[in-house]
Parts: sequence; structure tokens; C-alpha cells
Amino acid sequence: MQFEKQIEIAAPREKVWKFIWDIDRFISCVPGCKDAKTVEEGKRYSATMVERVGPFKVEFPTTIEVLEREELTHIKAQASGADNKIGSRMKIDLDVNLREEGNKTVVSFIAGVDILGKLAALGHGIIKRKADQVLDEFAHAVKTTLEGDK
Amino acid sequence: MLRRFRLEEPESVAEVSELLGRFGDSAKIYAGGTELLLAMKEGLIHYERLINVKQLKDLGAVTEDNGSIKIGALCTHRQLETSTLLQEKLPSLVKLEQNVANVRVRQAGSIGGNLCFAEPHADPGTLLMALGAKMIAEKNSGKREIEAQDFFVDAYETSLQADELLTEIRVPKPGGNSRSAYLKFGYLERPSVGVAVALTLDGTTVNDVRIAVGCAGPAPKRVAEAEAILTGKGKDEAVALLQQAGAVAGRASEAISDLHGAQDYKEHIVGVLLKRAFNSIVG
Repeated sequence: MQFEKQIEIAAPREKVWKFIWDIDRFISCVPGCKDAKTVEEGKRYSATMVERVGPFKVEFPTTIEVLEREELTHIKAQASGADNKIGSRMKIDLDVNLREEGNKTVVSFIAGVDILGKLAALGHGIIKRKADQVLDEFAHAVKTTLEGDK
Repeated sequence: MLRRFRLEEPESVAEVSELLGRFGDSAKIYAGGTELLLAMKEGLIHYERLINVKQLKDLGAVTEDNGSIKIGALCTHRQLETSTLLQEKLPSLVKLEQNVANVRVRQAGSIGGNLCFAEPHADPGTLLMALGAKMIAEKNSGKREIEAQDFFVDAYETSLQADELLTEIRVPKPGGNSRSAYLKFGYLERPSVGVAVALTLDGTTVNDVRIAVGCAGPAPKRVAEAEAILTGKGKDEAVALLQQAGAVAGRASEAISDLHGAQDYKEHIVGVLLKRAFNSIVG
């Protein structure tokens, strides 16, 4: 499943870049994400993703690895995790780009999300919709957080 | 394989509500079990406790009073398809029930369980919405009515509170001029699209049109914009407007692309089924 989103933030690019690397603040914008830890500064992080669709609940202990980093402009990262209780795995390939547009910063990201295992029994459509909702909530939270502390 | 759980056997609705309130997310109501046990056996969900409601009295009958048909939440699909009262008063619901899954599921599965599990590809919610049904939710501090159109919140989610139990479905008794139909289409085990239409035919004028669409999106949905296109029109004019109403209903269905079909395909099928369902009752 491929998702593309764009967030326009009324804040300078340096501020947005700094925010992305402030793991605690950044993770607080990801719905269902908790227990974020820095394993290796700028390279590897860990967190737990908890999501639910009605009675179906998944908990993925997740490792986030930064694969590429170009100061102020680009990040490529991969997040992967497994929920052994229900026998499911997820993998997210994330491509983030930042650019300036006047007084604003435009953050565009492409997320390739793969869900494998029993969870897939819920159906592709339902999972895609859920992932879309999570990304929308994330985009909204990032915008509100960065624009709110001017 | 099914993991171990504790089975609670309460004897009253108040006791069920108390157990639900006490154990929260770790407990679930168990009625027919046709959806729940399947998901539990697959290991997709686990509950420490199942609250067996099958032995609760007075929730397993179809009765009528002055204004409505009352369907107990524990009625099985099989009971509904063979109910003489429903055959006489709500033949569209009987026809729907005859085509729910297979006879083994219909024999065990309850209407209440079907509605509460809110599986997106279930049939009854869509027709009940078009029929103007109300869901009766009870807990130890009282009961309330929920309009069918407000009952479904999202895929697998209803507006029932954590300590509430669905006890009854109340369908307004159809008048002499009332007609209704439910049609579905699918090529997998569960339907891809389901469309329900209910209306009254006053002479040659079509009134009180209610249209609901299910299975295509995350939850059944009433489509007021499509209803408005047909309501108050003459038969022939309404038939000519079906294409337009179908397109509106298709877009409103929030169809999701999945194994059951692509979004635009499902939207198209909504229009086709609406046209067929309408023609089957208006003639």
C-alpha cells in the first residue's frame, strides 16, 4: 500500500527539521505510538505502535532505522515490527522531503506500508483506510504542534 | 486454536451490563458465535472472558404491538427466515435472511450478534436502516433507542456503550402502501455491495423513499441525497431519475477498493442494484 501526503506548515524549515529529530515531540504526533527510545542518535530508534480496528488490536514493537539523511531536505527511513500474539508483521518505508515555499515549509512524504500475516484477514480495504486515517491524524498533529508554538 | 477463556453465564440483562462494565475490554458478549469464535480461533482477538447471553429469557422471539414488529436480539437468522409474522409483515427481511451466508451460519448466528459485530460485509443493517428500525440498547441503569442509521459508527464499531447490550430491534409496521427490497451482489463468500430501498406508493406518487447502501464501504449508510431525488415524484419520473439517484448513492457509499471489487466498480453496482430494487417494488 502506497500513501502520499503533503503537509504545509507555517514555520521555517530549520524549525521543522529540528522537530523531526526531537524524538519525544515527534512521536507524540504519531497516533498510537508510545515508549519511544533513541537507540543510536540520528540512526536507530525504537517504539511501540498500538492500533485498533473495532475489537481487533495490534501491538507492534517497532524498530525505526534512518537509511539516508540530507540536512534540511530529505530523510529515508524504514520502520518494521511484529506482533507475535496475533502473528502479524508490518513494514513501513518512509521517504520524507522538505522544501521552502515563502514563509512556509512543505513536508511531503511517501509511505509504503506492508502488513503481513493474520491481520491481513481483516481485508486490504479496511487496513488501507485505517492507515490513511493514522497518516491524516499524524499530519494534522504535526501541523498543529509546529504552528502552535510560534 | 482457541485459547483458554472463562465463560460467564449471567441470568439477566442487568448482570450482563455489570459484567461488561467490570471487565471492560477483556470481556465480550457471546451469542451465536459465528463471527466471534471464528476471529478467536484465527487468533485475531482474544478475550479473557466470554459472556454467554444465549440463556437470557425474552430476547429470542418475534412479536408485534400496535406500531411495530419487535425482534429479539437473540433470534437466529433461521428463526427470522421462517417466522410467519415476518413473512406476512416484512417479506423483504425474510428474503434477506434466506440469503445470509449458509444454513449452518443461519442456524447458529443471531441478528443481534450480526449487528453488534458490525462486519462491513453483513446484510441486515442496511435493510433495517431503510426500514427505519430502532435498536434497543439496555444496561443496568435503563434502556435507550438508537436509530439504525446512528448505530453503525465504522467497520466493526457501533454506538453501543461499553456496558450496553442490544436487546431488541424494533421495525415500524409497514402500512398498506409500503414496499421494500434488499438486493446484493458478490462473487466471494460475502457480498461486495448491498442496497436497500423502502418507500410508500400513494397512487402513482413515490413517497417516504429511504435508501441505504452497505458492504461497499466500512459501514452501512443511509443516503438522504439519493432519497431526495426520488421522493414526491411520479412513478415514471422517478424511474427516469434512477440513474442520477444511483450515481449519488454510489459516491456516498464510501466504497473501498479491495478483493470484493474496485471502488468505481462497487459504485457502479450500487446504481445497478438501486435501479433493480426500485423497479422490483414499484413495477
